[in-house]
Amino acid sequence: MQIPDDAVKITDNAVTISLKNASVVDQFTFPGGAGNNLGIAGVPATLSFDITYSKSGAPRHVKPTTTDPLSPFNWAGEMWDATNSGTFSLSYNDGTFSAQGSFDSAGNFGEIGFERNGSFGEDGRAAKLPATPGAPYPVQNQPNVALAQNTQGAQQPPSGPKFRGKIPIRDLIH
Amino acid sequence: MPRWQKLFFGVAFLALACVPAWGQGTPAPPAPIPVPGGDVLPPLFNVFSPGVGAFLDGQDAEPNIITNFTGHVAMGYTLGTATDNKGNQYAVITDIRIYQGDYVGGVPTYIGGGTTSAKSHGTFVLI
Repeated sequence: MQIPDDAVKITDNAVTISLKNASVVDQFTFPGGAGNNLGIAGVPATLSFDITYSKSGAPRHVKPTTTDPLSPFNWAGEMWDATNSGTFSLSYNDGTFSAQGSFDSAGNFGEIGFERNGSFGEDGRAAKLPATPGAPYPVQNQPNVALAQNTQGAQQPPSGPKFRGKIPIRDLIH
Repeated sequence: MPRWQKLFFGVAFLALACVPAWGQGTPAPPAPIPVPGGDVLPPLFNVFSPGVGAFLDGQDAEPNIITNFTGHVAMGYTLGTATDNKGNQYAVITDIRIYQGDYVGGVPTYIGGGTTSAKSHGTFVLI
């Protein structure tokens, strides 16, 4: 899900995210999706959460150990182990359910850092591409409706229909 | 001209008149491209599970779900609790990841929607 840039704050030692009223779908099984839920597509809901990820220890310098594009070890970066904690609230759009809670890393794995992969990898092909007009993404942490629209926009073709040529209207009405 | 034909031409005119306005909207950012690999559960999900232990792919496994990306990454597995509006208690397990940086995504370029590459900047969250 694409979100506004200003929902995330990055400092030398921490990354924080404060996301308000994101439109999500509550799935009842994993993997989700209509097919895997035997026709139940999930319940539209609104989710808000705040999380802080904090660095710990020394950085790991990760280098690709393979050129296999399907491997999990074909990327480079500088990563730190990280702890995190947060709070969240969720409510169904139809008002039938809501919940709130908190969580923390509790000794589980986490990390923060800087990475590059794909065409930003060793050969640097991506660096030669020009930036796209229309970017960057809007920077305001928006209320629910606007956020939902922008999220959908991130996964859809950017402009309207691209008609070419002439449309024979007379042929249509005979 | 019969009334139904007038109505048809009226609707057709309105539809065609909308086309230029439609095409002038701000273009959406390029669609990010998923990493080509991932964990096969099955099926294949375009996400790896960094970390050491059962069901995890290793400490240096790719944390990103977007390929052609350079930028900041944060992720972590958590445990927690939640309470619903009826007072029921739940255990909460999360894997929330954040990505902020530059990426090369796809923009529809050809009439069928076929893509070409485009570089952009964005912030994404995996919930």
